[in-house]
Amino acid sequence: MPKRDGARPDADAGLAGFGRYAGPATLILSSLADGPKHGYALTKDVEEFAGVRLAPGTLYEALARLESQGMIEALEAEDRRRPYRLTAAGATALQAHLDAQRRATETGLRRLKANWGTV
Amino acid sequence: MRTPQERAARLLRWYPKAWRNRYGEEFAEFLIADIEERPQSAERALDVARAGLLARLAVAGLAGQHVAWQPDPGRRVQVSLGTLCGALTACLALAAALWSQLAIAWEWTLPTTATPPVMRATLVMSAAVLAFLVLIGLAIVPAGYAIARNCNVRMLGPLLVLAAAVSLLAFGGHHFLYQWPGSGGHSEGGTLFPVIPAGIQAFAWSLTYWFSVHWFWLTTGLGGWEVAWIVASPLALAAAVAAAATLVRRADLSPRLLAYETRLAAAACAVMGVFLGGCGYWVYVGRPPGLAHAGQLDIAAAILLALVLAAAYQAQRTALRGLQLVRG
Repeated sequence: MPKRDGARPDADAGLAGFGRYAGPATLILSSLADGPKHGYALTKDVEEFAGVRLAPGTLYEALARLESQGMIEALEAEDRRRPYRLTAAGATALQAHLDAQRRATETGLRRLKANWGTV
Repeated sequence: MRTPQERAARLLRWYPKAWRNRYGEEFAEFLIADIEERPQSAERALDVARAGLLARLAVAGLAGQHVAWQPDPGRRVQVSLGTLCGALTACLALAAALWSQLAIAWEWTLPTTATPPVMRATLVMSAAVLAFLVLIGLAIVPAGYAIARNCNVRMLGPLLVLAAAVSLLAFGGHHFLYQWPGSGGHSEGGTLFPVIPAGIQAFAWSLTYWFSVHWFWLTTGLGGWEVAWIVASPLALAAAVAAAATLVRRADLSPRLLAYETRLAAAACAVMGVFLGGCGYWVYVGRPPGLAHAGQLDIAAAILLALVLAAAYQAQRTALRGLQLVRG
C-alpha cells in the first residue's frame, strides 16, 4: 500500500510488542522522563498531565513489563515505596514512540484541514 | 468497617506469592493511598482481580513472558512446558475415555446397524490417539534420559508419585480388564472395528471406567473393589498428571531439549485438535438409537477436552515465546 502524506503507521518500533500496554507504558515513561517516581506519585502525575487515572493493577502490569525490558529500573525503596527511574533504553523507546505518534497526529491534522477545513 | 491496610492486604491476595515477594510492599502502600483517596471503587477491585489472575496464569506458565518477577526465561519456558505436559496428559485421559466408549460400542454393534459417518469419526479419533501416543513416546525418551542423568532430591517426590500412580493404573486396568460386560471386545457378532485389538480397547475402557460407569452399571450394584477402582483410578490419573507436570518443571533440561519438547508439544496439540474435530463430528452424527451415539456426558467431556486443549495451546505459545527470549 503506498504511503501518502508522510504517514508511516509501521514506524512505531519504540514500544513494539507492548500491545494493549502501549498506552499505559507511554504515560509511565513520559512521567518518568521528568524524574524518578514511585507508583502513587506516578498515577497522580499521569492524571495531571494526561487526564487519565491508571488503575493499580494496570499500572503494575505495565511497570513489570517495562522493567523486564530494561526501559525503567527500580531504585532503593523509601519507606516501603519504591521509586522507578527511566533508563537510556526507555528514553530511546519513548522518543521513537512519540515521534511515530507525532507523525500520525500531524497527518490527521493535515487531512482534517485539507478536507474538512478545521484546525 | 475495614481499615485501608486490611483492604489493601485483601486485594493483594489476588496475586501469587512470587509476585507479592517482588511488588507486595510497594503495591500495598499504593493501594492504601488509593483507598484513602477513593474509599469505594469497583473499578479498582476489578482491575486488581484481573491483574492478579493474569499474574497467576503467568506463574502457571500460561501467560506473560515479559515479567520482571520471573527473571529467568529458561526457567519460565520450563514452567510452561510443565503445564503443557500436565494439560496434554489430561487431554489424553479425556480422549481415552471418549474413544474407549466409542470403540467398545463398535464391538457390540451389528454390521447391519453400522453408520459410516460414525465409523469415520471413530477412525479419525483412533488415528489421532495413535499419533498422540507416538509423540508421547518421542517426548518421553530424551526427557526421561535427561531426568535420569540429572535426578536430584527435589525430583524424587514427583517421581515416586508418578511411578505409584502409573503402577496402580496399569495393575488395576489389567485386573479389571474383563470384569464387566461391555469390556472384553467380544466380536462373535462380527465386529465393525477390527483395527484396534480388543484387549487394548478393553484396557482403555477399564482405565476410564470412572467416566462410563454411570451409563447403566451404577444402578445395578457394584462390588467393593469395583467401587474402589472407580474412585481410585481418576485420583491416580490426577496424581500422575500433577506429578508429570511437577517433574518437568523441576528437571534440569537443556535449551535444546526444551525447544525439541516444545515443538513436539505443538504437534501433540495439533493432533489433539484433530481428535477433537473427530469427536465433534461424532457428537454431530452419532444420534440415538444405537450404542455408538454421544450422550450428555460425552458432550460435556468433549467441551472439557476443548478447554484443556486451549490451555495446552496457550502454554505451548508461552513456551515458544520464552524460547525466543532464551535464544536472545
